Amino acid sequence: MSADRTLRWRRYLGFLRPNVPADVDDELAFHIQSRIERNLALGLTPDEARRDAIARFGDVAAVRSTLVRHDERQHATERRAEYIADFAQDLRFGWRALRRTPGFAIAAALTLALGIGANTAIFSVLNAVVLQPLPYAHPDRLVTLGQGSSGEYLALRERLRTVTDLAEWDPTTDPIDDGRDALRLTGVAVTPNLMPLLGAAPMLGRGFTPNDGVPGSNRVLVLSFGTWRREFGGARVLGRKVTLDGLPYTIVGVMPPSFRYPSTDVQYWRPYAIDPKNIGLMWGVGGKEFVGRLAPNATLQQSRREVRTVWPSLRTANPIWDPGPAYRRAASVTPLKSDLIGSSASLLWMLFGATFLVLLIACVNVANLLLARATARERELAVRAALGGGRGRLMRQLVTEGLLLSATGAMAGVGLALLTVHALVGAVPTGLPRANEIAVSGVALAFTLVVAIATGIVFSVVPAVRATSAAAWASGSMLGRRATASRSHMRVSGWLVGGEIALAVMLVVGSLLLVRSFSAIRSIAPGFDPTHVIAARISAPAAMYPSGSERLSSFYAEVLDRARAMPGIRNAALIDRLPLAAPVWGLAIRVQSQYEDVRHELPFAAHVQSVTPDYFAALRIPVLRGRAFTDDDRAGQPLVAIVSQSVAHRFWPSGGAIGRRIGYPFDSPWITIVGIVPDTKQDSLRDTSTTTIYMPWSQRTDKVGTELWLVGRTTSDPAAAGAAIRRIVHDIDRGVPVTDVRTMDDIVSGSVVGARFTTALVTVFALVALALGAVGIFGVMSYVVSERRQEMGLRIALGASAGGVVRLVVGRALRLAAVGTVAGVACAMIAVRPLDRWLYGISPVDPLTFAAVPIVFAAVAVLASYLPARRAAGANPAAAMRDAGQSADG
Amino acid sequence: MPAARDPGDLLQGTLRILILKSLLLGPAHGYAISRWIEDTTGDVLRIEEGSLYPALRRLQDRGLVTSEWGQSENNRRARYYTITRTGRALLRTEASIWLAYSHAVTRVLRAEPSLA
Repeated sequence: MSADRTLRWRRYLGFLRPNVPADVDDELAFHIQSRIERNLALGLTPDEARRDAIARFGDVAAVRSTLVRHDERQHATERRAEYIADFAQDLRFGWRALRRTPGFAIAAALTLALGIGANTAIFSVLNAVVLQPLPYAHPDRLVTLGQGSSGEYLALRERLRTVTDLAEWDPTTDPIDDGRDALRLTGVAVTPNLMPLLGAAPMLGRGFTPNDGVPGSNRVLVLSFGTWRREFGGARVLGRKVTLDGLPYTIVGVMPPSFRYPSTDVQYWRPYAIDPKNIGLMWGVGGKEFVGRLAPNATLQQSRREVRTVWPSLRTANPIWDPGPAYRRAASVTPLKSDLIGSSASLLWMLFGATFLVLLIACVNVANLLLARATARERELAVRAALGGGRGRLMRQLVTEGLLLSATGAMAGVGLALLTVHALVGAVPTGLPRANEIAVSGVALAFTLVVAIATGIVFSVVPAVRATSAAAWASGSMLGRRATASRSHMRVSGWLVGGEIALAVMLVVGSLLLVRSFSAIRSIAPGFDPTHVIAARISAPAAMYPSGSERLSSFYAEVLDRARAMPGIRNAALIDRLPLAAPVWGLAIRVQSQYEDVRHELPFAAHVQSVTPDYFAALRIPVLRGRAFTDDDRAGQPLVAIVSQSVAHRFWPSGGAIGRRIGYPFDSPWITIVGIVPDTKQDSLRDTSTTTIYMPWSQRTDKVGTELWLVGRTTSDPAAAGAAIRRIVHDIDRGVPVTDVRTMDDIVSGSVVGARFTTALVTVFALVALALGAVGIFGVMSYVVSERRQEMGLRIALGASAGGVVRLVVGRALRLAAVGTVAGVACAMIAVRPLDRWLYGISPVDPLTFAAVPIVFAAVAVLASYLPARRAAGANPAAAMRDAGQSADG
Repeated sequence: MPAARDPGDLLQGTLRILILKSLLLGPAHGYAISRWIEDTTGDVLRIEEGSLYPALRRLQDRGLVTSEWGQSENNRRARYYTITRTGRALLRTEASIWLAYSHAVTRVLRAEPSLA
């Protein structure tokens, strides 16, 4: 009927935009026109007819606008209601559809839960650490200037115009004694203006006043929230006295839990006293950190320019030595946040990239499952299409099903993230900055919501487009459709699995690179033998055992004597900075007849160690030339040193270092080199600075801290030896804390625990990707086999061997894997470039890795397609033909 | 039941009854409704034809009539209104009230003393 056609046409127009005014105009025009026609029939002139019609009608414009307003409102309400009703219906329908195929629903939801959960967890960490601003006042204005001495600090603070305030801090670790067992706490010495500069205030008590920074003033300290709770039980602590490094301090405040500057492991802050009269200490000791706040109208660039001009100009202000023409030319200003999170940012982005790949793979896999299912549901969809569902409506139905799936997956994923995010933070070993701020926050949940909706749409659109076009096809003709539809299904499915494999290849390449790099790091010889060595840190309080004092020497001599007497310990020795366990500091040195003028820049020895004679024996470091230290190399005797090979090569390339003399970077007696040892790793296994100078501790007791490490080669259980060491020290003085009792093996593997963690995490992601890829191939090949059973049966009936059929199917899977692998390898070549900084000893385009990956994926393809292939080979020709006949009839 | 409280209300009520009654004959467009009222009342109840349409919208909102587009006798696009079951029920109630009312008024007017 033509009215119907108009109606439908109208509705389509209305689908694009409501055509209310036109409808109202039509209705009113019809009325007036009909009246005019009647008037004409009654014999009125055209003019009269029109005038009468309008007079009878009344105010046409007013009526028209009333109707238009009414109808538009009505239309909007209807559309909304219709939409909601459709959605509810789709949801109900989708739920029923999923319930009908629980295997599919669970597989898809689990896959998505894995992808979304991993993303939510990593995003939570990324968000808290990298994306959120620092919890300080106007955090984007905070900057660091790097390190320097207090003399430089005072000068910069006075001269810089682009920085309104500048604070200095210095990490310190001190034995603290609150009357019970001796503790060793990690703290920071800060100039009193640090907390106001950051915009932080204590939760209890007071912060520091400028007077607290004056040397000789009251000793006060402020506790971190965690220390207050853990070590002091959250009790009333204000005014309480504790002994820090042997000196009495008064607790005046407790910081709120959010304040963790400069790192999460800080347990207390104490004011840092700069004594302008002690020029040597002020200008001679560097390594203090400078943090500042940009002036209100200054930009980072302006500040950088200024610092790069002002700081080098301080070269002449140094009263102790001339730091040389290159002095501070490279000084820079860094936003505090990027300085604080440092390399964690790129690490987290990398992990996030990895989880994103996992999610994409999960999406592709679910899309593939949906595709296979849609093909199975073709008849149902065709019926729905035929009943006037319309393609758009049908697509909406399928996308709603997808959203239902992704919502289920997201809920499980959030649960997964809630469970794993804290384990994740706990497992990140090397003090992830801002770890205390990490939580599955509202932002993270919003992210998950977006991800869930996006994934829902992504993985359901392709199958929906495919299914609805197939359905449209089907509603036209039910016959002859099947072959076409399934062939194109296989094509789309093949593309999806190819893409999935490409993504998995990228992840596997990344993880293989990290694994190879990690094993390269682990195979680095540290230059000493860490097996069967026990180590313990002994922190004698400086106030009780002052540097250079007889008391200090005899305390450690006693410790060493008793340790040597312990059964099961050989070669006990002391060292002030244990390699790989504590940062090892360097020193500028004089070299006789090469660099003697202390007013000019001197060469730098990267590491200076103070050891007792048995150190080299304890760690099995061979003496290559000359001799080791002996007990005769003590205070009052000629000063001696042992240098690493690199030092000998650098200054005496043609040999003959033994007997040469070096010295401190100020006027002082020369020190004679008596031995050469191999280079050993000091700061980390990846350490490339190999210049090390060893000196007898007994000749340096006045120049190093009062904290030493005891190392000993054990012949029995290291744990028992550790307990014995604690007992020995406790027996001598219970006020001396013993901490970090660990085996040297432990320390070595602990120094790479960060790399291990990253590698393990990415490897897990890669394995998940590989498994999902295998499932993808398995799914497609199973489908191919079931679709082509007749063909397989025919082949077998015509005499093809089972092996031939298996080869046919596996060959197809291999072709699929090959295409995906080639694409993945090409993408990986580009994508792995940023990995460079995380790799050691191999290039990001490591040939072995790139050669291994295709083999891995070929193996996966063979494995994943073998089962379907076996099934194909086992196809009963007669049954297959019979089925074929039936499906042709139906 | 709504009792007419002011002339406006009375008029609305009247118009409603007239429209619903006209639709008892079958689906009709606005012009047909106004012609039917005109013819039936002998043009006594002169309603402004434009007010018919907002009234129809109100009836439609209350579910008393439905509308759909169709083809007029002279092959033009016109909107046809149909009375619903609710509409019929309402018409019956309102009609009986109207009849009782006008009957009462008539009786009053016919009572002694006569107007003449």
